[in-house]
Amino acid sequence: MRAAEKAGILRHCSFLGGAEDSVLEALAGVSSLCQAAAGETILTKGDEGSTMYFIASGTVRVHDGDVVLAHLGAGEVFGEMAVLDADVRSASVTAENPVVLLGLQRDDLWRVVSSRSASLKSIIAAVLQRERGIVRDVTSRTLQVLAFEKEMEIGRRIQADFLPEHVPEVAGWDIAAHFEAAREVAGDFYDVFQLKPSRHLAIVIGDVCDKGVGAALFMTLFRSLIRATSLSGFLRREGDAVGVDADEADEAAQVRKVLLDSVATTNRYIATTHSRSSMFASVFFGVLDPLSGDLVYVNGGHESPMVFGAGGRHEVLEVTGGVLGLFPFARFGIAATRLQPGDLLFSYTDGVNEAKNERGEQFAEPRIRDAAAAEWTDAAGFLRQVLDGIRAFRGSAAQSDDITMLAVRRIFY
Amino acid sequence: MAAMSILVGQEQGKVPVTVLKVEGDIDASTYKALQDKATEVIDAGAANILLDLGEVAYMGSAGFRAIHAIANMLNVEGEEGMYKSHHVKLLNPRGEVARVIKTLGFDSFLEIHQDRAAAIASF
Repeated sequence: MRAAEKAGILRHCSFLGGAEDSVLEALAGVSSLCQAAAGETILTKGDEGSTMYFIASGTVRVHDGDVVLAHLGAGEVFGEMAVLDADVRSASVTAENPVVLLGLQRDDLWRVVSSRSASLKSIIAAVLQRERGIVRDVTSRTLQVLAFEKEMEIGRRIQADFLPEHVPEVAGWDIAAHFEAAREVAGDFYDVFQLKPSRHLAIVIGDVCDKGVGAALFMTLFRSLIRATSLSGFLRREGDAVGVDADEADEAAQVRKVLLDSVATTNRYIATTHSRSSMFASVFFGVLDPLSGDLVYVNGGHESPMVFGAGGRHEVLEVTGGVLGLFPFARFGIAATRLQPGDLLFSYTDGVNEAKNERGEQFAEPRIRDAAAAEWTDAAGFLRQVLDGIRAFRGSAAQSDDITMLAVRRIFY
Repeated sequence: MAAMSILVGQEQGKVPVTVLKVEGDIDASTYKALQDKATEVIDAGAANILLDLGEVAYMGSAGFRAIHAIANMLNVEGEEGMYKSHHVKLLNPRGEVARVIKTLGFDSFLEIHQDRAAAIASF
């Protein structure tokens, strides 16, 4: 390529927009023509370099790993920062298609322009122009981030409405909950509500797989479906409502039926309607008779709740089926236990047993039992004890998962 | 980031079975590679997949979601009502992976085999 052609390429670059012909010709004389194939990396972030490039034809991608910062084409330059200071490359540049470039060494550039103030001015102006563009970009991105954070805060508040504001007060029972999201929005949920018109109490704890917004959306879905299906299960027979006229055998049968129907319907709905998302939740759903202390439950793939008793009782409520939301025809088993006066049912999500310390070790079930073995007087005190145990164990390690705990204690009479 | 690799093997039982032998962790950073490999063999005609988990030390929820997605891809019209998939089975999960499979109840969704020959013959 002749010097005049190279000068033509330089003339089309705004970087040298104001330079006189004699400067362009002098720079053309010391620039070298080079080419890059599609996909070829021309500059690598962090490398030393003293060459800047003028694009004659083709396009390049300026990027930091997978994050693309800019696309540049004919008439634009890159690598100019390295000729203005001696720092390493601030980003990588990769050819998107066959590219023709003119390369210019730092020393050559300065030798040519140092005695020509008009050229210097135009280079400084071009650099400032780019600087202004960067400031504009950073400002607009900061505004976007702020808007996004505001949306997340709204999401967090709306999601909080999907958790009970207060756990119901039930005579003879002492119930406490603790919920602590690892991020703004969470995939954990719990619910405690009376299955009106029955006296029975629904006790639900669940953990949607994954984290962040996706998990949060599914959390609201799982929680609402479980509430709606179980409540309607009792409402359908309001005339002969459980606990009003029905005899005991009928009542127990209906509680079991409503519980199983609710879990199966919730599972089938999500597994068919949202099959493509492959989102699932582990759910423990128990129905408690506050008069007798009878607890029937389905444990769908959830961390086993534990019952701690006054007389050293320790019962683990194992899984009775798989997680909800994946396989529409999954079968769920049902199991039962009875909470005696002084017994406490502790259910939790894996943010508790899988809480990690600085060495990456897990809090694990034995430490939950240790926390339970210490002195506590009520359900809230029990949860505080476990939480203190987790915090002491975790030390300076960050909370990596949502922590949800529910304690249901039968009071001595 | 944990490295994971997948070896593809072809076996003939009563029907052809593609064995995907996974080595490494299946987590949020690697599940996509498993899903992509499964998509590739399914696009090439595979109708039955045996996932060999013998060399997998850890599987997070992303891995379980990937297995569900693979089972979905191999769903045959009219067989949706089946209790356990006839087309995706697991081989030899160990240690922590076996424990999590049990906790999440995946053993109630998918057949789990300990013996490779028996697993292939079961399709």
